[in-house]
Amino acid sequence: MKKLIAITFALPVMGTLACTKSEPPPPTPAPITVPATTLPAPLSVTTVTLGTSIGADKRVAAPTETFGAKDTIYSSVETAGAGHAKLRAHWSFVKGEKTAKVDDTTIEFDAAGPTVNEFHISKPSGWPKGDYKVEIFLGDGETPAATKSFKVS
Amino acid sequence: MTIGPDDKNDDDMPDFSDVRSGASSTAPGAEVIQTYEVKSGDSLSKIAKNFYGNGNAWKRIYEANTDILKDPNKIYPGQKLKIPPKA
Repeated sequence: MKKLIAITFALPVMGTLACTKSEPPPPTPAPITVPATTLPAPLSVTTVTLGTSIGADKRVAAPTETFGAKDTIYSSVETAGAGHAKLRAHWSFVKGEKTAKVDDTTIEFDAAGPTVNEFHISKPSGWPKGDYKVEIFLGDGETPAATKSFKVS
Repeated sequence: MTIGPDDKNDDDMPDFSDVRSGASSTAPGAEVIQTYEVKSGDSLSKIAKNFYGNGNAWKRIYEANTDILKDPNKIYPGQKLKIPPKA
């Protein structure tokens, strides 16, 4: 009886196995190439140059850190990276521990790549002799991205 | 080009009220904005006169600062106002 049961169950299984065709293995999928996503570098200040004139490219043509009383003082600020930029130049007169604000100007723009920006100040009545500085802020940060000191003599 | 703010942090310090300033960029569509810290006795028309040479241009400053100004007749020392470029 046990043999009969075993044969009864074994036959259909064998039959199934015998009828199964061996199918070719599926083709190996081509390797997926994921394009390297290059995220734009965050905006940063790369160079700050002071001088008495600028060219059409907004770069300082005559770099100096010592100015005369009647000079227009230019600060050329170069940025790298992309994104929305808020670039602020804060000009100050420095006397020992004290500072007096001279000017504060902001440029806002959308950078697709490197940019050159210029800030300038002049004083028709003449700059008081002494030490000055310009601090360049990026975004709403309170720490300057760059600082340049200069003199009026 | 605009006339700079007449801030003076200390009586011993020089007067920078006649400072003129400006800015520009190689980035297309760059917008230049100056800031001015309100002093005691200021009004929007006085500030507009200082920056634009025309006190009637106060509305331009007011509209640029509606995030902090609710009433053009009420400005307070220490407020930092955005000064849009001269039209």
